[in-house]
Amino acid sequence: MSSSAPAAGKPAIDISKLRYILATDCGSTTTKAILVEKVGDSWRQTQRAEAPTTVEEPFANVTIGVSNSLTEIGELAGRRFIADDGTIIRRKNDSDPDGCDLYISTSSAGGGLQMVVAGVVAQMTAASAKRAALGAGAIVMDTIASNDKRRPHERIQRIRELRPDMVLISGGTDGGNVQQVVQIAEQIAPAKPRPRFGGEYELPVIYAGNKDAAPQVRVIFSKGFDLAVVDNLRPTLEQENLGPARDKIHDVFLEHVMAHAPGYDKLMAWSDAPIMPTPGAVGDILQRIAARDGLNAVCVDIGGATTDVFSVFGGTFNRTVSANLGMSYSISNVCAEAGMQNVLRWVHIDMDERELRNRVKNKMIRPTTIPQSAEALVFEQAVAREALRLAYVQHKEFATTLKGVQQQRTVGDLFAQQASGQTIVDDMKLDLLVASGGVLSHAPKMEQTAAMLVDSFEPQGFTQLAKDSIFMMPHLGVLASVHSAAAMEVFERDCLVRLGWSVAAKGEGKWGRKCFSYRVSGAVSASGELACGDVALVRVGPEQEVEVVVEPAKEFDLGAGAGKPVTRRVKGGTVGILFDARGRPLTLPENEADRKAAVARWAQVWETR
Amino acid sequence: MMREIRERSRSTMLLAATAAAAIAIPCCIALAEGAGDAATPAGAAVAASDSVVRTDRGPLAIAIVIVCGAVIGGIMLARTGRPLKIRRLAALDAVDEAIGRATEMGRSVLFVPGIQDMTDIQTVAGITILGRVAKTAAEYDAKLEVPTCRSIVMAAARDAVQAAHFEAGRPETYNEGNINYLTDEQFGYVAAVTGSMVRDKPAACFYMGAFYAESLLFAENGNSIGAIQIAGTAEPSQLPFFVAACDYTLIGEEFFAASAYLSGERDQLGSIKGQDFGKLLAVAAILIGCLLATVGVFAPEGAIAHAAETIKTTFGG
Repeated sequence: MSSSAPAAGKPAIDISKLRYILATDCGSTTTKAILVEKVGDSWRQTQRAEAPTTVEEPFANVTIGVSNSLTEIGELAGRRFIADDGTIIRRKNDSDPDGCDLYISTSSAGGGLQMVVAGVVAQMTAASAKRAALGAGAIVMDTIASNDKRRPHERIQRIRELRPDMVLISGGTDGGNVQQVVQIAEQIAPAKPRPRFGGEYELPVIYAGNKDAAPQVRVIFSKGFDLAVVDNLRPTLEQENLGPARDKIHDVFLEHVMAHAPGYDKLMAWSDAPIMPTPGAVGDILQRIAARDGLNAVCVDIGGATTDVFSVFGGTFNRTVSANLGMSYSISNVCAEAGMQNVLRWVHIDMDERELRNRVKNKMIRPTTIPQSAEALVFEQAVAREALRLAYVQHKEFATTLKGVQQQRTVGDLFAQQASGQTIVDDMKLDLLVASGGVLSHAPKMEQTAAMLVDSFEPQGFTQLAKDSIFMMPHLGVLASVHSAAAMEVFERDCLVRLGWSVAAKGEGKWGRKCFSYRVSGAVSASGELACGDVALVRVGPEQEVEVVVEPAKEFDLGAGAGKPVTRRVKGGTVGILFDARGRPLTLPENEADRKAAVARWAQVWETR
Repeated sequence: MMREIRERSRSTMLLAATAAAAIAIPCCIALAEGAGDAATPAGAAVAASDSVVRTDRGPLAIAIVIVCGAVIGGIMLARTGRPLKIRRLAALDAVDEAIGRATEMGRSVLFVPGIQDMTDIQTVAGITILGRVAKTAAEYDAKLEVPTCRSIVMAAARDAVQAAHFEAGRPETYNEGNINYLTDEQFGYVAAVTGSMVRDKPAACFYMGAFYAESLLFAENGNSIGAIQIAGTAEPSQLPFFVAACDYTLIGEEFFAASAYLSGERDQLGSIKGQDFGKLLAVAAILIGCLLATVGVFAPEGAIAHAAETIKTTFGG
């Protein structure tokens, strides 16, 4: 019998007997439910439903929204999942016409998991604490560090203003700095930050710093706090140990935060596996896929207020939340941060800037509106390109090698000394780029989704493009914690919509000069030569396999080195294979007329069938 | 008090910049030495004549005017507010990282300003960099130790560190006892510094100044205790040791450019730009000379050979 770890106090799950699995994701506004069924020998996602989340007043009970979504999914599937008393029906035997075998859930309702992190040096232990919190699916409200250029009273004031769900303190290597770690603890404790939920309970504090400072930290947080001490995040500066702190964050999330949120005690009782924070679940499934297939992958989820970017490069997982980059609440900030000039460079039709500014503000105050005209759609997708680009830049700056590590040099390094802390995100080594979030998932045409991805992420070489069909990665992330094989199968078959491939040359050249030539053979045949500034789209269907040969000019690189040809066998997608000779970094003509002509020409390539 | 310290620090930095700017000129003069009179026929009588101006050194004078003009032009250009770009120096970018490492490990930062006195321009450049290191150390609340080999250097170092603490807004953390004079004796100094390195195990070591035989002793000791090491010197014979044993090294001219890089002062940045132009001219002259001399080998009596000889006698001696 194969079994999996259940939620606390639940019997072990026999995965061989599973047939109907229900999963929900309780978001801030919508609770999304999916039904995963065993069809023959394989697992498929068969139904999907959603209902408004009911964590806020007047309901103040998250399970009402869950029941509503599961009722709807039951109606679609022709099975009852919710009993008359509002509980989830469990299947008693194989012939039972109602009920499910397993119910699991993720949650980001009520703002998700909000944390304050602290460390001694912002770029070292504080950065590790931030990585641990973000990796566990939290939103980091502030990072306290001894070199954050704030005075102690300013830090205390800031901590007082915040209402985090928990605090993570790191600092010092084992046997290292004690004094400043204790100082940080002494600033947090008297500030007495109040938890968001449940005014009565003690704020959880996780200490993951220098073990020598732990006794003093225990004394400081002995009253009014619930302190947990775990292994140091940076036992040495050469080593980062995020696992214990991440696990503890999950535990505390369930024991304290969820237990005090409205209705979550009931939801936890229903769930057969521990409830996970939504971004944590997305990160989990991405890591599993990357590990299984040996891929370097990036996943982006662009929302109304924030944009999450997840990446796995060389097995190292990173997540960033760009708190002010989004398509509704934060759209003004995107335009301000990127500059209207940069937004409008993606627009090939004449637009009145004043009218656009009104449109931006309208979107901000009416976040659920969607574009009603082609012009509005072009503008929204232009904003999305800039939001994604900025979020990716922030992600690259965060996903770096460890700082403060001793370097080994040879005399050969005389003129090539590089500082540590370089980004690990390498666009040339990126294998899979996954998109999710309204503006990407609900674009009228798949080609538009692919175009937004290519323009904002600027992948190099061969990169597969995909989108999460109905944003079910959170569900699959929590499912993977129970039944990994089922989660992987559904991910491959139903979750990802393979858009196709981007084949892009790295390098810069004068527009009009040869960039590379391509030859496609197999299920589809095509060939051509692209000049700098050109793009070409070859339609290769999802089930069609082709061999692609590209030969770059001597100053361009397609993955094998400058000027070296590359041959790859690839399967197509709903869009096909995009050959991109616009160069990397992607620069648009400065002349207004040339820019418009170029953007219009690229848009036409995407539209041509 | 604070103003006085800032003024002193500023004058130290300007001195470093002026000295760095002066380097190009002796180089050109050195190249011109012996470029004087053409050969006199054997046995011919030599008649002395008075001359105020040596016309044979005319090209050299033009070169000096061009180089000095470039430096002045660079400074004037900088003063107009036009942005001047200087290549990023990994060694200076790593200062924060090295001090951060020391802070996290709860250990001290060691700064060695070379073994020469303040009369050596490298020591002056080293003290300029010390100001930046001390400011970062003050911000991170890390302990900075500066053992010196000359008493005047100790006084200058104390001034620089105190000014840095004021600038960082942490005057109360300045401790002049951490900046000491040890001995003028080269190897006595080395023994004292390496001994303290082995005992105290600083997590970040900076070697900025003039170094000789002791360079590898310092660097190897620092490496063995696991410290991040950043070195800077203009001694060509010591550079390979530093490059091999340290994490980051400022090489020759980079070391002098560092003061401009760190201060961000427009005059200093403009001066660096002007000097770069002078170096570019020198490189171009060398390349043209090599080309002409090579071609001249095949036609020893031709115009090209003659031109090569003229360049050689005018600039190369």
